[in-house]
Amino acid sequence: MRPARSERRYPVIPFWKRARRIFLLAAIACLIAAATSYVPAMKAKHNVGIGVTSVEWLRQNGGNSIVSEIENWYYSLEAPEKGGSALTSLPKVGVTAEGEGSQARVYRPPNVAPLIHPALPGEGVWKKAAAKAGPRPPALLTTFRSDPEYPHFVAGVAWIDASRTHLAYVPGLAEPPEPLDHRGSGEVPPAQRRRLVATFNGGFPLETSNAGLIYRGKVVETMVNGIATIVEYRDGRVDVIRWHQGPGAPANVWFAKQNLPPIIDEGKLNPDLSDGPEWGETVNNAIRVWRSGLGVDARGNLIYAAANYQTVESLAKILQHAGAVRALELDINEDWTSFISYRHPGALEPSNLLPEMFRPAERYLTPDERDFFAVYLRPGQAW
Amino acid sequence: MKLPRHITPGQAARRALLADLAIALAIALVAITVAAGIGVVGFLALLVLLAVVVWIAAEATVKALLRRRTRRRRGTERARTGSGDGAYPGG
Repeated sequence: MRPARSERRYPVIPFWKRARRIFLLAAIACLIAAATSYVPAMKAKHNVGIGVTSVEWLRQNGGNSIVSEIENWYYSLEAPEKGGSALTSLPKVGVTAEGEGSQARVYRPPNVAPLIHPALPGEGVWKKAAAKAGPRPPALLTTFRSDPEYPHFVAGVAWIDASRTHLAYVPGLAEPPEPLDHRGSGEVPPAQRRRLVATFNGGFPLETSNAGLIYRGKVVETMVNGIATIVEYRDGRVDVIRWHQGPGAPANVWFAKQNLPPIIDEGKLNPDLSDGPEWGETVNNAIRVWRSGLGVDARGNLIYAAANYQTVESLAKILQHAGAVRALELDINEDWTSFISYRHPGALEPSNLLPEMFRPAERYLTPDERDFFAVYLRPGQAW
Repeated sequence: MKLPRHITPGQAARRALLADLAIALAIALVAITVAAGIGVVGFLALLVLLAVVVWIAAEATVKALLRRRTRRRRGTERARTGSGDGAYPGG
């Protein structure tokens, strides 16, 4: 028989105190279990801070929706006001070298028409990315104010001559995740730097994009039909397409990186740029953050664009305005958005497309955890 | 097996702690099994830990304040009644 309360010889701990202790112990047990994954992840080689690495670890371990909710909330609080003071100058990009403006019979894309008038000096005017580039520069850069409602927003755009360059997909140290053959060192190989024109961020991690990847002709992650894809064929041609070739690797494809649905297709903005599960497990499309994208113009040349405070729709409009007829969104957030050009052969004098870009211009000359794209001058092409 | 009924307070406290630990481990195991990933488990566990630590700290602070207030009140009463030596003030 259980002794009556009055007969007990020891003090009884109140129920709520025991419940609290149970939760405390359970939390400690869970943290010990999580630490077995977290600590090795933090010990791995990184070139971002522990905060960003911790968030990435949380994303990779089932916390995608938690991170996205917190980011949505944070960026909504930080949303910029419409209007504001007008800019008096644009950040200086590229170089004005000798011979500029005298390129007879050489194709150059038309300058990007300013959207705000009067235009600022150099607004939308293409400049060479490399100082010693001849009359056919492999890459051109420009900036322009992308939204009349927000006159202080500046978009950076790069145009890459597909006939003079070739695009390489470079895996990072951690992305794509294992297993992966021929991962490399997560940086531009030193032997290739002599021909390096530009580098830029490679799109969402496979974990969040729910899309596929073909690397060196082999499927790393099953390809998904209908998803926007940067594809390089074995003959060196590069394109941005909507994928319709099934889950496997077609024989003529060297690499194919998918990222979300296309934002521009057949010259038109995707009519469904609002939120939905097809846009990956990330911040809402209407949230204004750093965003980047890649497209192709009607001649098959690449166009990269990036800017802070962009929605998916405004990014698509920037790319379309710059001449893209097909395009996809790449990375978002300041930690992942990078476009770097190199003013001199040998990857010398690296320079971010926009001065506000958070990551250093040397980013891809040292091992990086994320995958990226490198633009090289084709063999036999002179600067 | 029957547990002994008449035990010392120390034994009772240890027994309760052991039971609580077993329940906590069971809760942790369920959480790790059903969660989308260990990251979620760690994140939520960190929140619970912080909440409980804040709760315990707040409780301890309130207790300490109450103790100090009681001590001060007793001190005032003692002073009023003659430094607690039983002598009548002014007598």
